[in-house]
Amino acid sequence: MAAVIQRTNRWPLALAIVLVVYAAIVGLLILALPVKDGVRDWFAPLIPGGWMAWSFPGAMFFLTIFLLLSLMAVWEYASPGGNPRVGILRFETTRGDRLFVSLLGSAFIHLAWLGLVGPNVWWALALSVVYAIGVFKLV
Amino acid sequence: MEKTWNNKAWFMVLPVLVLVAFSAVIPLMTVVNYSVQDTFGNNEFFWNGVGWFSDVLDSDRFWEALGRNLLFSGIILAIEIPLGILIALNMPKKGFGVPVCLVLMSLPLLIPWNVVGTIWQVFGRVDIGLLGYTLAALGIPYNYVNNVFDAWLTLIVMDVWHWTSLVVLLCYAGLVSIPDAYYQAAKIDGASRWAVFRYIQLPKMKRVLLIAFLLRFMDSFMIYTEPFVITGGGPGNSTTFLSIDLVKMAIGQFDLGPAAAMSLIYFLIILLLSWIFYTVMTNSDAQN
Repeated sequence: MAAVIQRTNRWPLALAIVLVVYAAIVGLLILALPVKDGVRDWFAPLIPGGWMAWSFPGAMFFLTIFLLLSLMAVWEYASPGGNPRVGILRFETTRGDRLFVSLLGSAFIHLAWLGLVGPNVWWALALSVVYAIGVFKLV
Repeated sequence: MEKTWNNKAWFMVLPVLVLVAFSAVIPLMTVVNYSVQDTFGNNEFFWNGVGWFSDVLDSDRFWEALGRNLLFSGIILAIEIPLGILIALNMPKKGFGVPVCLVLMSLPLLIPWNVVGTIWQVFGRVDIGLLGYTLAALGIPYNYVNNVFDAWLTLIVMDVWHWTSLVVLLCYAGLVSIPDAYYQAAKIDGASRWAVFRYIQLPKMKRVLLIAFLLRFMDSFMIYTEPFVITGGGPGNSTTFLSIDLVKMAIGQFDLGPAAAMSLIYFLIILLLSWIFYTVMTNSDAQN
């Protein structure tokens, strides 16, 4: 009765599709940006009329979140089961849990950086990446 | 038995995903976009980077409102959870009393938030309210309009009146699901009332208590309507919670950027605290 699907595991193809789609959308967004005197205005509104107040950095933020979710889906396709394990927090976490902890922690790292250090959040982003790697390795 | 894999089942989730996208994800995206831009109306936006977030994090107004929120939720949970358990333990398990108690317990839950606020606003008034007038007649000074302590007391008592029943109903559902065999075994062992509660009833109620705890925490942390109706955030700013401050900022002052930044920080705090509560409670459950 159990219809077990044969997993041919073509995850490199899935990964390539995700990355190509991401790159294509980013490319289209860059092309959609207004050019003034030969210089691209990176912070201009993306949609005329201001619908949802979309800007390039805002769109990139959400695109990257969707990219991360898609990469998690590809990872799950490549090795199903979510890789549950007990890490330094001493309770069982799956890959999804670790992504959630990484993203939530990164948000607070950015806020703490803003409140305590200053508005240059690129360092906070770098710190968040280190933190996320730590979470995926240890938690 | 082997699990059945059928990826077509994902299509069943699609309607929910679409619904959530329109009701939550798209508005949230708009809030994120607002939080990094400035607008003077007319749907024109100007890039502002992380400026609004810095402003919110540097403002005393935000930290004070957050402190009030945490204090309010802490007090509410400290009262409603034990009180709810106590009432559920003493509710009848069979007979005529069961439906009567259940209906009585459900009544406050059926009343809309703004009506609850209005009821307590009138109830507490010194000139015409039953509570305020009676206290004044007894010589007890009470005025929620100009006294900070009285304003807080009114809000806390109102919330306890409104929402303890939810905890009671959830705990009651947990209690009636315990098979009689547990109690019989406890009786044979000569277990005390406390031991029965500690080792049978409390562990069996853990799951529903987790839900009650989370629901009450999130709801009290996001409280808006009742304090808005009763005190309007006053006296002074003493009952201005984050949600009230947020509405003042977004709609009163039309500062969409700072309001969006503040609501995102508010959202992250709720997300973090809920995750901590959920993780701690489910893991202690798993260990047991």
